[in-house]
Amino acid sequence: MTMEGQEPPAVLIDQVSKWYGQVIGINDLSLAIDGGVTGVLGPNGAGKSTLFKLMMGRIRPSQGSVRLFGVDPWVNTSPYRRVGYVSESEKLYEWMTALDFVTTLARLHGMTREEATDRSAHVLEFVGLADVMHKELGKFSKGMRQRVKIAHALVHDPELIILDEPLHGCDPLARTSIMSVIREMGEQGKTILVSSHILEEIERITEQIVILHNGRLLAIGNLHAIRGLLDKHPHRILINCEDPRSLANLFISEEPVFGVRFPRDGQLEIQTNDLSAAHSVLPSIVVGSNQRITSIENPDDNLDSLLSYLIKEEG
Amino acid sequence: MDRRGDSLSESVWTRMDRKAGAIIELTIRQLRHRISTWVVLGVGVLLMALLLTFYVDSVRESFEPIDNDGDSEDNDGDGYPMGQERKYGTPDWDSEQYPGASVFVPESDIDWNDQYRSAVGNKSWQGSAFFEASWVDDQYTGEWWDSHVDWNLNEEGVPELEDCSDWEVEEILESFWDGACDFGDADGDGMTTYYVVGQWRGEGIATVPEGDYLSWGHWTKEVYVEPEPPEMYINEDGIDCFEGLVLRGTDWNDSRVDCPSESRLSGSHGFDNDGDCLSANDGYGDDENRNGIRCDVQWIATNGVVTRIEADYLVDEDPDEQEYIGELGHRTFVIAVGKMAFVILLGLFIPLFLSLGLVRDETENGTLHLLLSKPIHRAEFIVYRLAGYLAIAGSYVIVLSLVVGLLSSILGPGDQLVRLSDIPVWMGIGVATTLVLAAYGSMFNAMGLISPKYGVYLCIVFGIWEFMMGSFSILNPNWAVASVSISHWALQMIDAVVLLAWPDTIQWAAMDGAFGIDSGLSVFWQPPVHTLGTASAGVALLNSLLVLLTVTVAWIFIAKSVFSRREIM
Repeated sequence: MTMEGQEPPAVLIDQVSKWYGQVIGINDLSLAIDGGVTGVLGPNGAGKSTLFKLMMGRIRPSQGSVRLFGVDPWVNTSPYRRVGYVSESEKLYEWMTALDFVTTLARLHGMTREEATDRSAHVLEFVGLADVMHKELGKFSKGMRQRVKIAHALVHDPELIILDEPLHGCDPLARTSIMSVIREMGEQGKTILVSSHILEEIERITEQIVILHNGRLLAIGNLHAIRGLLDKHPHRILINCEDPRSLANLFISEEPVFGVRFPRDGQLEIQTNDLSAAHSVLPSIVVGSNQRITSIENPDDNLDSLLSYLIKEEG
Repeated sequence: MDRRGDSLSESVWTRMDRKAGAIIELTIRQLRHRISTWVVLGVGVLLMALLLTFYVDSVRESFEPIDNDGDSEDNDGDGYPMGQERKYGTPDWDSEQYPGASVFVPESDIDWNDQYRSAVGNKSWQGSAFFEASWVDDQYTGEWWDSHVDWNLNEEGVPELEDCSDWEVEEILESFWDGACDFGDADGDGMTTYYVVGQWRGEGIATVPEGDYLSWGHWTKEVYVEPEPPEMYINEDGIDCFEGLVLRGTDWNDSRVDCPSESRLSGSHGFDNDGDCLSANDGYGDDENRNGIRCDVQWIATNGVVTRIEADYLVDEDPDEQEYIGELGHRTFVIAVGKMAFVILLGLFIPLFLSLGLVRDETENGTLHLLLSKPIHRAEFIVYRLAGYLAIAGSYVIVLSLVVGLLSSILGPGDQLVRLSDIPVWMGIGVATTLVLAAYGSMFNAMGLISPKYGVYLCIVFGIWEFMMGSFSILNPNWAVASVSISHWALQMIDAVVLLAWPDTIQWAAMDGAFGIDSGLSVFWQPPVHTLGTASAGVALLNSLLVLLTVTVAWIFIAKSVFSRREIM
């Protein structure tokens, strides 16, 4: 969609604020998104859902303007012909079968019943629910329900897909499957907005991210570039192993490591200034130690530490 | 954007149709999945079944002959029904007076003014006199039940009374008020003179003192009159109509026409078949309608329809039930069921259960976002939801009304198997109720949106208002306040449809009132009010239709303006 200059971007948020009484949901946010998969990151309450509800015309901005394909969604529903929306809400029509559900909603796009049924069967197959599409939604697991919601958002082949916490509450298998669906859609050239409060999830889907915090835009750009900034700051790596002290000996001689600690029995904490460098030497040391390693954790490599870093940078 | 390769001929309208179809279908399926839907619709069916059993029961009862004027009763227990006593001019409250009973015939009297103050004979006397008796009847009970003189006869048949022969006449007159005293045989002719005050019978010479009063007469001979069976006085005075002329007493059967259905004549009709009006002769009632003709019925028609019937007292007052109550009762049943059961009860309760949450519940269930993330306007959404609700509620009401209509028309009076003229009335009831469902539906839906939490209470308050105004509208459709209600207009619509389908209903209602048939038709039905001065049922029908549709659309607009400003969290 980016090839024509006169075509308005899929999403254009211009100095938008939204407050609920005294509580601020979105604070002076400006954003333009067109093409590719964009992850919207932020802790709970950062304004991700508010942002999506503004885009879906469910709430009205207190200030500023929201445009989908150049149209204000609060007054005009026409952009929704080109938008698929997966809400955070878990509520579905429990008594319907998956096929029925997607077909009914597909008909709201003006499809005939046959056309809607065909396309619904197709998208349900795409999200991997072909074998259960005649079952009632009430019997579906959380991951299956998320995929049904994704299917209904895809049934009219939209150009812009908005997914509000699509991985929330899903088991690892469902996560993997949903992530691959999102990636595939991205490869088809659609504009995709996907929100999450878990950095790792987004990282597996896309590199292009928007970080929201307290309703404000904290960062926008490539996840790795942002992560790179973070890597230069002190980080901890926690290794659970049989003999932490002998493993510590191997690490202490390495360049990026500036300290070790033994916080608990059978646990080694390595302190480093360059996380990626530390990770690049880590495998060979672990293999060379001939020890049984039960786990390796990066407690500082999460959204919280990224946020606290970014907030510090801003301040 | 049309990448699906949809045909170019596909217009905006067909797409809208499809969206409408999808939401209507969704709404219907949602309602079908709710227990309350089945409960309220089931209760409606039960109600109708109950009413039909009442109808069957009343149809059987009303065809039994009823004594509308009560003249088959024998109130005084003398063995003669009131109708027979009326013909003979005897009262039905005195068992001593009955057809053929001996009657007192007054002959003459002596008052204070008369010069000649004596009378002779075997008479029944009343008053006071010196009575020189050759014979007295001590069994005499007189015309009234008091002041009978007790002669106190001894074994020889001679009265034994107080002796007043020594008294001065003035003394007797002043001190004697009741009964008789022995004045002695002053002239020595062997006949004793008594001073008597009261009623007595005897032969002799009565001499009335100055200033006193005496009247006398005789009793006719008692004749035996065969008592008539009470059944004779049931349905004995039917409703007669005469072609043009009023016939009195001769061959009225020949010129009688079937008046309710064919003749809508204005003028004097009616004949006192049982003669109770003509023989009453009591100075009033025999020309109560003041048309100058005794004992008739004045039919008053406007525009070829009898609108008023004024009957003289006791004329055509006991018509045959088979002939009239059947039809009247049937119409009353249809109208009462249409108004009370369909418009007021079903019309209120179905929307209360089915429409209040049409849009509100989607918000509360959290499923609304699924629908609103589709290219569909919120106003469109409201209209389609209401259409889905109406598809269920409206078709239910129309089918139910036709089933009740068919059953009652098979059970109802008339020669044909199915009363065809009933069908349009039941259709009208179905349509009027559907319009009420639409109006209340859009109103209650708006209430649910205006106040999701307290909307139900608002609806109940409105429901009570509508119920009250509906009831008042049935009793008095002219009451202006009642027209500020939805039910009023729907009831008016039924009134109009009834008049269109059964144009002679006004006449039937008039007959019902005039001849005491008591079917209740005029309680449940009155001619439509809102005819804009044309008295045309068609105008009234259109008027009501327009009001109901306007109310529906107005509430949809209110709901729309509330809903499109609402933020959905």
